[in-house]
Amino acid sequence: MNKLNFKEKTNINLLMYLAIIVVSVTILIFLDMNKFQYNYVISIIEKSLVYAVVALSMNIVTGFTGLFSLGQAGFMALGAYTTAILTIPIASRPNVYYMNGILPALENAIVPIPVALILGGVVAGVFAALIGIPILRLKSDYLAIATLGFSEIIRAVIASPMMDKITNGSYGLKSIPGFKSSLECFAYSLICIVIMILIINSSTGRDFKAVREDEIAARAVGINLFKTKELSFVVSSFFTGIGGGLLAMFMRSIDSKTFQITLTYDILLIVVLGGIGSITGSIVGAFFVTAGKELLRFFDEPLIIGGVQIPLFKPGFRMVIFSILLMIVVLFFRKGLLGGKELSFNKLMKVRRKKNLDEPGGNA
Amino acid sequence: MENVLRLTDMSIAFGGLMALDGLNLEVNKGEIVAIIGPNGAGKTTAFNCITGIYTPTSGNIEYLGESIINKEPSDITKKGIARTFQNIRLFKELSVFENVLIAMHLRYNDNIFTSTFRLNKKMEDEMREETKKLLDSQDLYKYRNDVAGSLPYGIQRRLEIARALATSPTLLLLDEPAAGMNPQETMELTSYIKKIRDEFGLTVLLIEHHMDLVMDISERIYVIDFGKLIAKGTAEEVQNNPKVIEAYLGVQDDA
Ligand SMILES: Nc1ncnc2c1ncn2[C@@H]1O[C@H](COP(=O)(O)OP(=O)(O)OP(=O)(O)O)[C@@H](O)[C@H]1O
Ligand SMILES: [Mg+2]
Repeated sequence: MNKLNFKEKTNINLLMYLAIIVVSVTILIFLDMNKFQYNYVISIIEKSLVYAVVALSMNIVTGFTGLFSLGQAGFMALGAYTTAILTIPIASRPNVYYMNGILPALENAIVPIPVALILGGVVAGVFAALIGIPILRLKSDYLAIATLGFSEIIRAVIASPMMDKITNGSYGLKSIPGFKSSLECFAYSLICIVIMILIINSSTGRDFKAVREDEIAARAVGINLFKTKELSFVVSSFFTGIGGGLLAMFMRSIDSKTFQITLTYDILLIVVLGGIGSITGSIVGAFFVTAGKELLRFFDEPLIIGGVQIPLFKPGFRMVIFSILLMIVVLFFRKGLLGGKELSFNKLMKVRRKKNLDEPGGNA
Repeated sequence: MENVLRLTDMSIAFGGLMALDGLNLEVNKGEIVAIIGPNGAGKTTAFNCITGIYTPTSGNIEYLGESIINKEPSDITKKGIARTFQNIRLFKELSVFENVLIAMHLRYNDNIFTSTFRLNKKMEDEMREETKKLLDSQDLYKYRNDVAGSLPYGIQRRLEIARALATSPTLLLLDEPAAGMNPQETMELTSYIKKIRDEFGLTVLLIEHHMDLVMDISERIYVIDFGKLIAKGTAEEVQNNPKVIEAYLGVQDDA
């Protein structure tokens, strides 16, 4: 009886998610077929998907493990540069590195895109593992500062003349192969998101949550605090790195300025707005913020009413609006719009029958 | 009688304060032993040293004949020492079921790959089954979907004990398990502790503030005051010890 109900519940959720995927794919195919007409919409969707990956990976470490890390831009840079360096067509390389030339070892190093993305994740993960050893022993507040610093160091190193033959220094990289269609972007993002959801709902994810809830109690039930934090940080950075690679593919050209603190701020905005510790919050938040920023673009244009130019309407104003929005959310919905909860079809459709009939932990 | 826990000359200082000063204590298999003493005596500090949260400044801690000083708290738990906390520490925003389930992890060897791709399904099912059984036996199954932090205080205390039991301990440390309970609840708790001791084959070391509470339950009592052991023995011996009476008279107000 119990089991039946539990199965039923999972199946309904699963079916609904499958339905969403099918609908999304259909829409994307339609948009792809009318590419010229919907270019703008497609680019918003692709960017949202990439941001959803990065936001969810930030949520793993911040929302589910309780470690406030602000290194997103740095890890994205690592993933983005790795992906770019390994995928720019060999023929285009002399053109890209026209100023300083390219490191001979990299001249012919090219791998398929999925491999490059994974390697980007690995590079980010390895860096996370290394810096995690000293900084994860710090108290949470210091962690934020240390990761922020790390992010800026990575950016400085990438832009430094020392790295000219690898990163092309301050000139950045271009001719990065983009997504062949929005479906390709969707597929990569979906795979990342699904794996992250599986992690969050696994026994490993439960250890993360235990650490978030109470470090001392977690240790008292046999959880190794440092190993668990390190694991969460590495996993999160791995997916952030992949997200960076996807961003490189989306933008087709990157330089160190792409990965400024404002990028981390964008991701943070999504995570906080969507709800710290909410998977669906991060995903919905990514679309909401990315589309919202585009819609608010007219605030950046000079506005003239009756011959008078309204002084506030100038470039940067929409960021002010977004910041105000963020403050409102933090003040009134302390835990974000979804407040650590998940959007679930069971709740929406109220198919949940008697509470005591469903099996616990049905989301695993 | 097999020795389970032995503290030898254990001391710990915080800055200038000697929170524990040369503590000697022994617990044998199957015993229920109590530590009592006024506020700030160093009782909780002793627990924190045993479970590895603090490292003693000097002295030794042996568990089943092996020194456990400088060990990671999680490793100490894996060796078989579980505890509860004076100010209940549950995973507040997780469900009752998850609270216990998480404590089952240490006995199962899965890693991020097996757990992510559900290759550990058999283990996971087993853990869930065991959690269900344990909650059932502790009369907590009906709360399984409730958020731990939302439960009444008494239930939270019981859940914390259940979570400790989930780690399959040999030695259970209870820090003021009766705090905040009325006399009726305290009596129930007394028989409950005896019951789980027998059922799970436990050895129990517990901290209690109030002497009369532990009289009934503990075979032996250690009395600490200002970090020093001032008396030990059976309930009766301790009760009539002038040093103990003095220590307690001094703090009668908050006892
Ligand atoms: N981490 C710490 N840093 C500094 N001092 C501490 C620390 N932990 C405990 N102490 C001090 O050690 C002394 C003993 O504290 P402890 O909590 O062990 O007392 P207790 O016997 O458990 O008291 P209570 O009955 O109030 O729980 C107190 O003076 C306390 O302030
Ligand atoms: Mg105490």
